[in-house]
Amino acid sequence: MIAEFLGSWALFQHTYLAGWLIAALLGLVGVLVVARDQIFLGAAVAQASSLGVAVGMVAGGWLAPRWPVFESDAFLSAAAVVAAVVAALVTSAGGAPGGESHEARTGWVFLLSASVAILALAHSPHGLEEIHRLVVSTIIGATPADVAVFGALAAASGAALARLHRPVLLVALDPEMAAAVGLRAGRWTAALSVWLGLVLGLSIRAAGILYGFGCLVLPALVARNVCREVAPMFVVAPAVALGATVVAFVVAHHRDLPPGQTSVALLCVLVAASRLRRRGGAA
Amino acid sequence: MAGDAVVTAAGLTLGYGRRPVLAGVDWTVRAGERWFLLGPNGGGKTTLLRGVLGLLPARAGRLALHPELARRERIGFVPQRCEFNRSLPITVREFVRLGTVGLGLGRRETAAYLDRALAHASLDGLARRSFWALSGGQRQRALVARALVRRPTLLVLDEPTNHLDPAQEDALLRLVAALNADEGVTVLFVTHDVALASRWATHVALVFDGRVVAGPAPDVLARGDLRAVFGAGDGRGPGADA
Repeated sequence: MIAEFLGSWALFQHTYLAGWLIAALLGLVGVLVVARDQIFLGAAVAQASSLGVAVGMVAGGWLAPRWPVFESDAFLSAAAVVAAVVAALVTSAGGAPGGESHEARTGWVFLLSASVAILALAHSPHGLEEIHRLVVSTIIGATPADVAVFGALAAASGAALARLHRPVLLVALDPEMAAAVGLRAGRWTAALSVWLGLVLGLSIRAAGILYGFGCLVLPALVARNVCREVAPMFVVAPAVALGATVVAFVVAHHRDLPPGQTSVALLCVLVAASRLRRRGGAA
Repeated sequence: MAGDAVVTAAGLTLGYGRRPVLAGVDWTVRAGERWFLLGPNGGGKTTLLRGVLGLLPARAGRLALHPELARRERIGFVPQRCEFNRSLPITVREFVRLGTVGLGLGRRETAAYLDRALAHASLDGLARRSFWALSGGQRQRALVARALVRRPTLLVLDEPTNHLDPAQEDALLRLVAALNADEGVTVLFVTHDVALASRWATHVALVFDGRVVAGPAPDVLARGDLRAVFGAGDGRGPGADA
């Protein structure tokens, strides 16, 4: 099976590398989403990036005849990232006393994005096909540029978290205490939202909603179940994401299955298994 | 810093939205003093603390900290409660370690600070336990340890005795008094309990009806204001504060 997989390397190496880098990157970011118990936020931000793509395609249809750049893949990626960043900022701003809760805002963003993305492209068969591709997740077709972008993002995110994971955790878990010790909690929260939107928006554009959302939350849930402290989760979650997607890609290639769905299914099994292990340990 | 003004409020107004909670507050806390903030629920005790901590901007007047506290490295804060994701794995040691954020400590220094804070809070034997396996009183002590790990010169405690039994309450008050006496730590301690204040405070601030009556503990506690603040009760009442 492995030799067979290695035989496909020349043809699919960029797909494999991009998929693994996305998994590791989202696994890292996902620790914060799981730590804040805002898992559905990941789904809403992912869905918002599809709205960004839809709006980008509509805008491209109007503007591309005069400015061809609006028809480019880079423009659609930028639209996905902008929408994801805005969604992350909108959802993170909730929770103030007397205001909308995080959950209410997250649900609103998710439903708005899911419905308007389809409405915007209802009369465009090509557009609907693109949205469908994002929803079902296909990572075939990644380019060397994708590999470079996600490699750089993973390296930058890893380096930043290695240095800043404690203030980041304090802001995520106890923003009032963070502000009391002099951190500008509002700015930190906004920066984390921009980071989440950037990473998730780019990942969704390249790999689709299912794969992106799955790699965001499932490895972090596994890490939560096997770790005794939060800090090691920042190492365990990307490692789980990477290991699971490597195995899933090999199996998917051997069995001729879609790699994104295979990866997410395997990660779901790992979450259940790690949960059982945790309960066993607690008993 | 001894004897210097640590907190100075002049004509201070604090509030939420359009609603002022405190207005025209003049209050000075000097280094080494042990202040107890007394008042009814909703009277503004926590609002005043939030102002001191920089969590609530002054709507009018001025609230200044001593220049040594401007970067807030030496402020320890014990909130009423700390609520976060209960499914998150976190040990007592890791929880307390969050208090070292912003201090710029090396690995060895951090370990020394942690050991000292855990010992102060009598949690050294529980450091490797899950935070969620602790009792309510032990969690409260973990909050205290998280504040002490900063080796504060200003220690701010917002109703820290809420979940403590009498023995734990006494131990906490003894610890606070010892830090105050031995290390000169200035203390701001919010409570509903007049008996605690009369026993442990050097100074008392009565916070009620949007104003603050402050001064040396014997003077303030001997005034008739206490009856106006708490009515006919004994001054001991549970519940959240504004």
